[in-house]
Amino acid sequence: MTSTSQAFLFDGKAIPFDSNETIAMALDRAGIRTLGAGQGNSTGRYFCGIGTCQACTVSVDGTRMEACLTPARIGLQVERIASVSL
Amino acid sequence: MSDREVLVIGGGPAGVAAALEMARGGLKVTLCEQGPRLGGAIHRQPDDPSRRVRVPKAQRQRWQALAEALAASPVTVLCRHMFAGVEGSGAVLLEDRASGRIVTRHPAALVLALGGVERATPVPGWQLPGVVTAGGLQMMMKSTGRAPDGDVLLAGSGPLLVAVAAQLTALGKAPVAVLERSTSAVSLRALAGLIRAPAYLWEAAGYLLPLTKAGIRLQRGASVRSIVPAGDRLSVTIVDTIGLEQRLVVDRVALHDGLLPNGNGTTPAPNGPFTVLAGDCREVLGGVAAIADGRLAGLAVLARLGQAAPDLAGAAATLRRERRTQSALNTLFDYSGSDAAHLPDDTVICRCEGRTLGQLRGMLAAGDRVSAREIKLNGRFGMGACQGRFCAEWVAAFVASQRDGQPPQVAEIVGSRWPVKPVPVSAFVDLPPSSPSE
Repeated sequence: MTSTSQAFLFDGKAIPFDSNETIAMALDRAGIRTLGAGQGNSTGRYFCGIGTCQACTVSVDGTRMEACLTPARIGLQVERIASVSL
Repeated sequence: MSDREVLVIGGGPAGVAAALEMARGGLKVTLCEQGPRLGGAIHRQPDDPSRRVRVPKAQRQRWQALAEALAASPVTVLCRHMFAGVEGSGAVLLEDRASGRIVTRHPAALVLALGGVERATPVPGWQLPGVVTAGGLQMMMKSTGRAPDGDVLLAGSGPLLVAVAAQLTALGKAPVAVLERSTSAVSLRALAGLIRAPAYLWEAAGYLLPLTKAGIRLQRGASVRSIVPAGDRLSVTIVDTIGLEQRLVVDRVALHDGLLPNGNGTTPAPNGPFTVLAGDCREVLGGVAAIADGRLAGLAVLARLGQAAPDLAGAAATLRRERRTQSALNTLFDYSGSDAAHLPDDTVICRCEGRTLGQLRGMLAAGDRVSAREIKLNGRFGMGACQGRFCAEWVAAFVASQRDGQPPQVAEIVGSRWPVKPVPVSAFVDLPPSSPSE
């Protein structure tokens, strides 16, 4: 079932998603490619799609999670993570 | 049924086949999958059947048979449970993503079916948003049933590039080009190996014919030299066999240089349960072999725990056949590394922490012979959040190419401590200890 009425928030902006979409997929369809400050001059972004590279890690309701593994849900508060200093 | 629990990590074909075999043998089986759904990277599909991405019929039927058997079995399935490793006392740690808690288990045996990871060879700019792995791009397509928007360039080496190109084309979004870096010709030996496995030839034909019909540019011996941002797009310099350079401006670049076993977390823990590896994390042989290998892993556990085990001579034969086929395929896509001499010093090697080739070259030039542990602890290669999954193999090969003698081992660079993936500290300290039924 496709519904445009369901959305989560990404840095405060409503992002619509289809059922069974991950956060990464919904963000990609919304044209969002930069997922955070990343580390070591490497911007946060989608890369491997299977939870291995950790590059798409975002904050989901305050907890760090891979956007590619996390199912989109109505009302989730997803945020870019600011640069991590080592 | 035995009251002893066995644990399977990974809900792809190898994990499901292992779980079924052990359940049939009378063991109490729990199957853990990190993602929201089973199927592994190979059998991902959207819920909406009208949107399904075309896959070979035999592949679809294989998963359907496994999924039906699983539904009819007493196997307990836990999705969104990440394998975090085996800790010192031997407990298996799982992070339950829905509750944000670590759960511990003490299974009588553990089957690890962690799948493969893609190899992507470093090029300047491969860390930019819009550059993905071919498998990552395919995952998006398979899960949503939609082609990603924008112009796509596929580059690297391996049959997956052609498969992804065909799936993009079938969704009406043909790639700009497919660049295959290998130049090896089809040898008689390889051909003989493939003819013994006609399913692969049919699959290849099923991918190649639509690409030829659609006039897709398939170029052997060509590779990506660098990627730079061009506004919202990516400007890619490609180089062909005779060294001619060309520039392409695209929206996405999908890189792929074959598959490697996902080895992180597979080193046996001193006090851990009896552990068997199954599927691509043991040996990359593909989806057919993964089912056979999963069954054999299940058999090994049954034998170890003294349960009656069936004769699986057929599965062993399947594994041998798939190994022959894979070795024939490997001669066609002979990834033998890429020449690093042309890579500039500012090429990012460690994608997690932005460590560059110049920093690695500097370490090697500093005099003392650098050990595998120093590469990680001082150089920070393999130290970042992915734990070396996308740089350790390349770094080990590069270091070996720069000096004689014993090359550093990937496992030594990476190390084998839990957690094998980042786990929030809150999963350990904020919440009361969990007490699952063990």
